Amino acid sequence: MKKILDWLDERTGWRKVKEVILDRHIPQGVNWWYTLGSITMFLFVVQVVTGILLAMHYSPSPDHAYDSVRYLGEEVPMGQWIRAIHKWGATGMVVAVTLHLLRVFFMGAYKYPREVTWLSGVALFCIVIGFGFTGYLLPWDQKAYWATTVGAHMTEQVPLIGPILAKIMKGSMDLGAITLSRFYAIHVLVFPAIAILLMGFHLFLVIWHGISAPPEKLNAQEAAAPDWKSRFKERYAQLKARGLSFFPYIIFKDIVAVTLVFLVLSLIAYLKPAELEDVANPTDSTYNPRPEWYFLSVFQLLKYFPGSLEAFAIVLLPLIAFGLLFGLPFLDRGPKRHPLQRPLWTGAGILAMIGLVVLTVLGAQSPLTNPMVKKDPLIVEGKKLFDSFHCLYCHSLKGQGGSVGPALDNVGMRRNREWLAAHFRDPKKMTPGTKMPNFKMMDSEVEALVAYMSSLGGGTFTAEAPRLFEDNCASCHKFQGVGEEIGPDLSHIGQGRDADFIAAYIKDPVQLNKDAAMQGFADQLTANQIQDLANYLYQQGK
Amino acid sequence: MDANEKKPNVPESPGRRNFLTGMIVFLGGAIGLVLGGSGLVYFLSPGWKGKKENWVEVGLDSDLPEGQPVKKEFVQRIKDGWATTESQGTVWLLKDKGQLTAYDPHCTHLGCPYRWDSDKNSFVCPCHGGTFDKTGKVLGGPPPHGLNHYQVKVVQGVINVLPEEA
Repeated sequence: MKKILDWLDERTGWRKVKEVILDRHIPQGVNWWYTLGSITMFLFVVQVVTGILLAMHYSPSPDHAYDSVRYLGEEVPMGQWIRAIHKWGATGMVVAVTLHLLRVFFMGAYKYPREVTWLSGVALFCIVIGFGFTGYLLPWDQKAYWATTVGAHMTEQVPLIGPILAKIMKGSMDLGAITLSRFYAIHVLVFPAIAILLMGFHLFLVIWHGISAPPEKLNAQEAAAPDWKSRFKERYAQLKARGLSFFPYIIFKDIVAVTLVFLVLSLIAYLKPAELEDVANPTDSTYNPRPEWYFLSVFQLLKYFPGSLEAFAIVLLPLIAFGLLFGLPFLDRGPKRHPLQRPLWTGAGILAMIGLVVLTVLGAQSPLTNPMVKKDPLIVEGKKLFDSFHCLYCHSLKGQGGSVGPALDNVGMRRNREWLAAHFRDPKKMTPGTKMPNFKMMDSEVEALVAYMSSLGGGTFTAEAPRLFEDNCASCHKFQGVGEEIGPDLSHIGQGRDADFIAAYIKDPVQLNKDAAMQGFADQLTANQIQDLANYLYQQGK
Repeated sequence: MDANEKKPNVPESPGRRNFLTGMIVFLGGAIGLVLGGSGLVYFLSPGWKGKKENWVEVGLDSDLPEGQPVKKEFVQRIKDGWATTESQGTVWLLKDKGQLTAYDPHCTHLGCPYRWDSDKNSFVCPCHGGTFDKTGKVLGGPPPHGLNHYQVKVVQGVINVLPEEA
């Protein structure tokens, strides 16, 4: 064994490497706050591992991205879990890297001789944010699409070069196929490569200079000494000599912290799996775009600036913020490191933190202007099939499409599910002499298409529905000439809202409209009655 | 910080050192096991994933002539991971004394598409001259064994074929 190790040592010099990395002494006083860097690095490794696994079931094209993510979550063993870890790991990384930055900031550890370590750290911080932004688009659901749309519009606000920048970012005029593969390439190839190089450099500097010691208060004479740099080095050497070796003492702390973080991450990933909203729909006008929480502060900030000053908020403020971050070690020089001896910078840091937290909280609380209605995924799937089979070549919907087959506007009222399913399996059997071809759909496809067709026309209502309206609604609402006008007139409600929305609103208005004066009818009416009423209002209000 | 300063330097006791080393290996191993384990299950899962049978209708049983192989073309919708593709396929069907047989349309030699030669009363492969009789047995040429069969069944008069090697 020893012979093999000697042989290896002669060729790789591993003993020296071990001495430099593992046996190096860490200055006395290094505490739990110092594990934040290791936590960040650990989370990066988790992101790399889970990211590689996710990439195996991902297709970066608008046609397949959404389906591939859904497939991954629903059909691949451990897929949901790994996606959740990746999603929450990203959040964890933003948190960890920010706390790490704050630790270094408040301890004044960016000062001589570690200025370049700080610069590489801030660059890594930017990369983490970039990872978040590019990764967000990849699932190609509504949230992904609209958040990136907002990001692209913000880029457009940059004076002079904005429109060109936005086009470069999107790779095209519109957010689409090119944008998606561009973001994918940057997310999985460019950023990881830069991040790994920068991290290597960052870690090299950490070992080169040694981990910074906790700041000490200086007396007036020490603070004024012209030879403070050599004094600092002397003091550091003292603390280092008194400290413990990196392995196993410091690594032990790191691994305990990392284990705790991993436990929390696993728990969150288990309790709150990464969700997938409806597939991206550029024509949807009812969606509430919301950025990921770590962009909420910027999102909220934009609300305070009128259109003419928006460029200021989008360009100048971030520029100032990042300029200060990068410039910090050159603006705040000198021997004083203790936060209480740097009141200006400590105060500015605390103010900035409070500002960010307040903006984020306000942003998270800002009301949704569009009510959220959960769509049935089966119907969404059916709509997609409807498009991919090109049903509109022969049938028409809302006045668009061909006239070979019957119009489908209210097919859900005319045909029941059994008929539709049999019809899709074999059109000629159900309708002898029909020109409709047999598409040889799979069972899952028949099911989805039936769900979509049944949803058209909003379903039937019974003869009881008008009476239900008179008994429950007419005291406030007017519909077809019946009722009071205390609440909104519902005569044309079907033009703006579909039956699902109306049903959800009758059940619990406040959930859809915070300011609703109307009470919910979930207790007074049965689910069937509510659906009946909703179908009636939708059908007769079109 | 000051409290630390007063503390004497912790002597490097071998017991403590070994304990910490053990903990590092244990915790690191546990994390690696959970993360690596789920990754491995995820990566290896295709290994034990079964295939879903995908039968396809190819025609009416009553249309088949007795004792004469017939080529049927069909379009099959196939689920390929998250994508659904439409693939065209063919199958040779033979009804012989009431017995229905479906042949994989590829020659067992190198996979060329063979045809039925009614003059010679045999299947002839154009590539290397392999020939089979109508029951699929090799009559001549290089094919190593007789024609492969597809599973076939008749459901309410409609012939269903499972176009994959049995």
